[in-house]
Amino acid sequence: MKVVTGVVGNDIHVVANRLIDLSLQARGYEVFNLGVNTYLEEFFDAVVETGADILLISSLNGEAEGWGREVPRLKAKYKKLDDIIMMIGGNLVVGTGNAEDIIPRYKGYGFDIVCHQVDLNTGLDSLEEMLKERNLK
Amino acid sequence: MSQINSPDDSSNNSQEKLLIDVGSTYFKLSNKTNIEQHFRDFNKSILDDLTHKCGQEIERFDKKNIHICSSANGGLSTLIIGVTHSFSLKYATNIAFNSGINIIDTILFQNIEEYSVPSDLIDVVIIVGGINSNSDNFSEDLYRYLDNLTYSNVVFVGSELDVPTIKENIENVVVLPNIIDDRLHIVEDSLKAYLTNLYQQDIEGKEDIKDLYNITDNQIFSTPYVVNKTLPFIHTKYAVVNPFVLLDIGGATTDIHYSKDLVDENIVTENEYDRLVFKKLGVYKSKQSLIFAAKNNEFVYELLMHLKVTENIFEEQSNKATKVLMQLAIFLVLCKISHYKKAYVNLKLLSVNSFVLTGGITKVLTVEEIENIISFFYKKILNSDHNPATVLDNNYDIWTLGAEVEGKELCQ
Ligand code: B12
Repeated sequence: MKVVTGVVGNDIHVVANRLIDLSLQARGYEVFNLGVNTYLEEFFDAVVETGADILLISSLNGEAEGWGREVPRLKAKYKKLDDIIMMIGGNLVVGTGNAEDIIPRYKGYGFDIVCHQVDLNTGLDSLEEMLKERNLK
Repeated sequence: MSQINSPDDSSNNSQEKLLIDVGSTYFKLSNKTNIEQHFRDFNKSILDDLTHKCGQEIERFDKKNIHICSSANGGLSTLIIGVTHSFSLKYATNIAFNSGINIIDTILFQNIEEYSVPSDLIDVVIIVGGINSNSDNFSEDLYRYLDNLTYSNVVFVGSELDVPTIKENIENVVVLPNIIDDRLHIVEDSLKAYLTNLYQQDIEGKEDIKDLYNITDNQIFSTPYVVNKTLPFIHTKYAVVNPFVLLDIGGATTDIHYSKDLVDENIVTENEYDRLVFKKLGVYKSKQSLIFAAKNNEFVYELLMHLKVTENIFEEQSNKATKVLMQLAIFLVLCKISHYKKAYVNLKLLSVNSFVLTGGITKVLTVEEIENIISFFYKKILNSDHNPATVLDNNYDIWTLGAEVEGKELCQ
């Protein structure tokens, strides 16, 4: 199964990105890592070029909200992204925030799995669960 | 005409080379000591014009010592159909520019039905999309579009898995290796070789240019290709500090060559310098579209005020008007490559150390006049006092050097 991943916007926190790449590979995914400093359009374009099933975005520095809001408008321009599973994690707001507010908001932006300050392995486990639920694995 | 003589006029040396560059507006001749520039007479063929104005000089040289390059043929018209802006279209466009091609239109495949079909003949259609493990990147819509299009060549450089269907549906399609690898990186070589070759054949096929083989035994190259080859050697002629941007503002188009360090793009290639062309941005043939672009730029009126002229200058035919037009061209090009206007690339202009200007502009503007515009641009658009050095290639050293490099490579 193909996953496109990277860190959104002007964010340069690279450590989690490397860990995500390795963990995904260890779990048997084919990973297309766009690295830090990746814009939304590049993420969606990479999904189109690779035929990926999953888009996993990270954000650490507090910019996530602005990009999240852009997702519905931009995604609507694409004709081939309907079946993709979208996941976002890291620090999804400035400061600590409250997951109960944050999760529904990001789901509203179109993300299927939202992991605010959640450990990576826990996050990837919920991805596996969703894939099973959807009979994709 | 302008002529620059250096003091040590040397004698007729049999190894001496004559270099000729044919542009859309001027042609230039250069020997070891002297460079001449002439306005083209469009009532004559290039060869007639050349021999009429410089026959004596040309006769001094053996055919094997004359090297010609040309940008006068306008280049190949290219239509690129790709599946995304960030990868397939961007990579193919990059390769096309670096192969010397000037005219490029792009189509985002998913919206192909919304694009009108150009009525002019397209020299080459490039189809690209998908890594090799991704299939079905194209559909009937593509073939329907191509059915209505007139083109001379069509090349497919997308996913391997799509090759059988593409071959089945597109007659005479040339299939080359995918330009996108499995890590989404660019692979240039085969498409670049194919396009460079096509461009070369096109130059040679143009009647006007074909004639020029009467005076040279050497292959005629495209000027931008030659200039791009020179850039790694530019420091042998000028104190240019990397990273730099080279502007060649011509009569019909404007060419920009820039150090790779100025982009943090997803394109990683072996070229040290990339090239970009703005068609319809020139001071003679494309004057009207330049003025049109200027009038649509919100800062241009301030710029005119800064230059102490009004927009009536656009109607004038004078030296002053030409100067202003060239200054405008510099400003518009800078806008186009900055973050102010999102174009094909945005260069990190705050990191530029030198601007090098070549072409006709060096005969019209002084360093001060150019610096004036550049600093206006940095202040107004980038809010910065950054002040890169300006280098004028007013003796066409870049082009001469390029032709020499080319000449040497051919002799080997
Ligand atoms: C190292 C660091 C830096 C380094 C980065 C070096 C580099 N190139 O990577 C430098 C000094 C450059 C830096 C800069 C900045 N930083 Co900083 N930085 C950190 C720091 C100390 C550690 C980050 C790290 O590498 N952690 C280790 C990794 C493994 O953990 P992680 O990033 O948290 O990722 C884990 C999880 O979040 C999760 N995860 C991540 N993504 C995803 C995605 C999914 C789907 C899932 C399931 C899980 C997941 O998985 C990882 C493993 O469990 C954190 C504070 C902290 N202790 O977290 C601040 C921190 C991230 N930085 C912060 C800030 C504000 C900045 C700056 C804006 C500071 C400034 N004012 O200049 C700049 C921004 C620069 C930019 N353009 O992005 C803030 C962000 C605050 C916010 N979101 O509200 C933090 C949290 C510090 C703080 N408490 O204020 N930073």
